[in-house]
Amino acid sequence: MSSLFEQFLVESRELVEAAGAGLLRLEKDVGDRDAVNEVFRAFHTLKGATGLFDWPAFTRLVHATEDLLDAVRDGRARATPELVDRLLAVLDQCGRWIDAIEATEALPADADAQGRRLAQALFGALSGATDTAEETPAPRPPGFDWLDGTGVTDARPLTAVAYDPDPECFFNGDDPLALVRRIPELVWLRIEPTAPWPADLATLDPYRCVLRFRALSAAPQDDIAPVFRTAPDQVRFATMPPAAPPAAPEPAPATAPPPEGALAMAEAILREQRRALGMDADPAELDGRIAAAARTAAGVLTAIGRSGEVEAMATAAATARAAGRHGPLADHLATLLAGFAPAQSPAEPLPTAPAAEARAARRALRVEPERIDRLMALVGELVVAKNRLPFVIRETEDLSGGTAPARHLRDAYDAIDSLSDALQDAVLGLRMLPLAQVFQPLPRLVRDLAQRLGKQAELHVSGERTEADKDVLAVLGEPLIHLVRNALDHGIEAPDARRAAGKPEAGTIRVEARQERDSVIVEVADDGAGIDAGRVRRKAVANGAVDPARAASLSEEEALALVFLPGVSTASAVTDVSGRGVGMDAVRTAIESAGGRIAIASTPGAGTRVRLTLPLTMVITPIMVVAAGGAQFGVPTGAVAEVARVPAAEVRRVKHAESFALRGAVVPLFRLHRLLDLPAPDRRPGDVETVLVLRIDREPVGLAVDGVRERAEVVLKPLSGVLAGLRGYSGTAELGDGRLLPVINLRELL
Amino acid sequence: MPIRFDASLAHFEGDCTVEEALPLNDWLLAEKGPAVDLRRCTGLHTALLQLLLAARPALAAGPEDPFLARWVAPLLHGPKA
Repeated sequence: MSSLFEQFLVESRELVEAAGAGLLRLEKDVGDRDAVNEVFRAFHTLKGATGLFDWPAFTRLVHATEDLLDAVRDGRARATPELVDRLLAVLDQCGRWIDAIEATEALPADADAQGRRLAQALFGALSGATDTAEETPAPRPPGFDWLDGTGVTDARPLTAVAYDPDPECFFNGDDPLALVRRIPELVWLRIEPTAPWPADLATLDPYRCVLRFRALSAAPQDDIAPVFRTAPDQVRFATMPPAAPPAAPEPAPATAPPPEGALAMAEAILREQRRALGMDADPAELDGRIAAAARTAAGVLTAIGRSGEVEAMATAAATARAAGRHGPLADHLATLLAGFAPAQSPAEPLPTAPAAEARAARRALRVEPERIDRLMALVGELVVAKNRLPFVIRETEDLSGGTAPARHLRDAYDAIDSLSDALQDAVLGLRMLPLAQVFQPLPRLVRDLAQRLGKQAELHVSGERTEADKDVLAVLGEPLIHLVRNALDHGIEAPDARRAAGKPEAGTIRVEARQERDSVIVEVADDGAGIDAGRVRRKAVANGAVDPARAASLSEEEALALVFLPGVSTASAVTDVSGRGVGMDAVRTAIESAGGRIAIASTPGAGTRVRLTLPLTMVITPIMVVAAGGAQFGVPTGAVAEVARVPAAEVRRVKHAESFALRGAVVPLFRLHRLLDLPAPDRRPGDVETVLVLRIDREPVGLAVDGVRERAEVVLKPLSGVLAGLRGYSGTAELGDGRLLPVINLRELL
Repeated sequence: MPIRFDASLAHFEGDCTVEEALPLNDWLLAEKGPAVDLRRCTGLHTALLQLLLAARPALAAGPEDPFLARWVAPLLHGPKA
């Protein structure tokens, strides 16, 4: 994959986001000229970017949108909420295309028809045509997004069938595949697993249906529905309009000169590379920087059809590397850039803010997260290896009596020590990303949801530049969406209720992020109805989450916190928006699994504020790798007070309970293989047991293992998916050699 | 017997029903390099299909049944999705 292609993926997504933000502003105030300009610029640049590749349908749609926005900019056309809606639909399509391009490096087969339909809808909204109903396609029911990827174009209207069999359906005698086989006039069929296949076949339950079916048929729905007579609740239908007749062919893009937008982008990339070369560089980095610039420039030249010039450029790069300075390559790029000058059209000066250039420089490097994780694991091992040195040094000092070599050794150790600390910080820093990533879906969520609920709400987001570890961000995403959804659904009142309460009709939801010491704090606050602590208390008592005496003794604040218990938070009226059983307890579980905390405060009538406190970086946990029952496990070193060697003969046994004496005190003994239900190791009389002496709630507890293998410093990853329910483990860790190690949650296990 | 297990090769014959799911599962777990022959298979229960999709044994012979040949066999070729 060329670097230009990857750059396109990143840039185009940023442009779609920028355009989306501008559209939401435009929707609030259709006269907002800045917003129009922002959206126009985004589409303009996107057009240039798509033009670098051979995706005519994409370029055409973006181009049409740009033309329309240009008309709005000039005052030839007027922005309306309806137009904004359709522009958002165009953006959604662009997003889907970018996804498809990333996956397959090509547009879906129906791109042409889709693009044409959206462009028509756009201009329909513009002209204010009276019969828009005809031009607007019937809204597609949810769950039919896959229709964009079928690649089927048919002149007949098709019926789309989404069949999600009940996992237990085999027990009812259903055979989903046999049903699907009976769909009349089947045109297209996709059979897919509902979740990724497990790596281990043994974990698959052969009697649970894990497949789902997507089909297109040329038969009308009424003819298909009888097939699913036995499973009417598991199947949904939608109608797909006939594909548009093939349009007049566009001029062949392959031989045409690259569009002007492409040249502008190529020029911008080359200029950026030249600038980066000129920056002060460590001599050690210079080589890499020259190579990177040369690689990018080669990609650009090839993409704009000037591959003949790649060799000359490569020669300049080689000269630069041999000379140990960037001059030769920078000069060559300057020459190339000079050749671009006349190509840029003076008629359309594109405002490029310096900030935009700085952004371009910032996103220059993309690294797969796995590589950083691996780096992280290696740094963890480096720290452990380093920590062995002080013992060696002490031995040397004892032997040599504090002579110069021992002193030098200590100096060298100090240097390595501070370097490894700095290295660890640097690696943790690599994984930091701005919270803007998780905030990004919120404006659209609030907009769409408010529309559906018939409420008015304004979202204020601040602190989106606060950074946190990518794993922390990953944890934060879902709960945040849930909290904002909750605030809008249960917090903000309907406009008339708000008016009656003397509040502005539009509610306000604030999402604020900030860093405090080693934590990142995210608050979601609304000015809605607030939560009645008394009701929470009653509800918690009613479903047995807390006993009545205890509930009565709780302060208001403590009573509010009961919403985090399972089954308490769901609203009395279940809506399709929130309150689907996963309530605040799911939010709490997610946050706590990442080592965070959650707190809630509410004033009836004035609003609710939920505060999430998460660690800024994933915490590095020192662990011991122990063996038990033929497998290896991690035990957090912090819980281990000492490792004792206990002769097997000294272990006392009363019924099933074992104990041993440690410095005169009797310590209960557990065996890890037994707790984990693993086979017992071979034992001979006279053996010595390896016992980890743990401190849990101050009391010493012995944990017998088959051996201690090594120590490591690791980043703990919470278990996810089906494994998340396993209580005995606190997560997994990747070791320096790539092995995954389950880490034991001692408190749960004992 | 709709599925005939012949060492590492399983022949699917006729209408293979959900009753075959457990034997097939055990066989797939036990065999190192399992392969399946679907040539004479005329009906494949979903439970069997999903085991084949999850385990991806080699396809020794594709089904002659038109529906299976058109929509199912391609899923059993090529890399695991």
